[in-house]
Amino acid sequence: MKKIIIALLCVFSVFNFMNAQDKFITKTGVINFEASVPSFEEVNAKNENVSAILKSTGEFASLALMKGFRFKVALMEEHFNENYAETSKFPKTTFKGNIEDFDISQLDENDKTFTVKGVITMHGVDKSIEVPASIKMVENTIYLSTIFVLKPGDFDIEIPSIVSSKIAEEVNVSANFILKSKS
Amino acid sequence: MKKQTKLLIAIVLLILAAYFAYNYMYQDHRDIKMEEAKISVSASELVVFFKDNKSEEILNNTVQVSGEVTEIDLKSITLDDSVLCSFDTEVQGVNLKDKITIKGRCIGYDDLFEIAKLDQSTIIK
Repeated sequence: MKKIIIALLCVFSVFNFMNAQDKFITKTGVINFEASVPSFEEVNAKNENVSAILKSTGEFASLALMKGFRFKVALMEEHFNENYAETSKFPKTTFKGNIEDFDISQLDENDKTFTVKGVITMHGVDKSIEVPASIKMVENTIYLSTIFVLKPGDFDIEIPSIVSSKIAEEVNVSANFILKSKS
Repeated sequence: MKKQTKLLIAIVLLILAAYFAYNYMYQDHRDIKMEEAKISVSASELVVFFKDNKSEEILNNTVQVSGEVTEIDLKSITLDDSVLCSFDTEVQGVNLKDKITIKGRCIGYDDLFEIAKLDQSTIIK
């Protein structure tokens, strides 16, 4: 009996070890969003300090600090922080989900398209999303990129009518993560 | 003559209004490098602000942190495994285990890795 327990413990510790190995992380992922309307000032922001963790099981989590979004126009940045996304009250946006049919052994240097399903929490609102992502792996580093559309209205973010003609209703979001194997 | 003066005043006012409106709309970004740090603490002390729910004291403010370099990336340095400082340019001349002081804008606390993050950082010493 004792031997079985020890054997089981050994097996578990090996599993733990493998899990620890099969984790890919970044603290400096990039998220860009664009809500420009033709012939008006471009509405574009970039955050270069987005964290993400991808496990070999396909489990994926990401966190963006909202104050980290930087705009070309300073006043736009101020309005985004103070009036729209209310970033002092809601300092972070998170995503938690799974990459469907993810099999790390199938990854290679060519981009493959996967479906990422999960929940985005932004501005205090949870929303389920399903987006395509292209993933490749080069020298133990996973490159994940995705483009999708979000609507501010879905997250209770109100754009005052005075500026609504200058901000698109559909915001194009792109995210790029270079995830390094964590040893 | 009187009509002309009125017209002139109107034009001058219009130009002034346009000038102020333009300056308001296209005001400069904050220059974190030139701003005085609101607080100056060690990297591990900065994280405590978030744990004690005192984040509003540092969030979006310029802070100065010191500690040992525990990680170096292309455009970021991590101090004491607790504060990630990101730079607008590539990091140069810094080695692991160096004891340095960095000034930057605190953008928040990252629960995934349990670190605070700064952007627009500069190395003080």
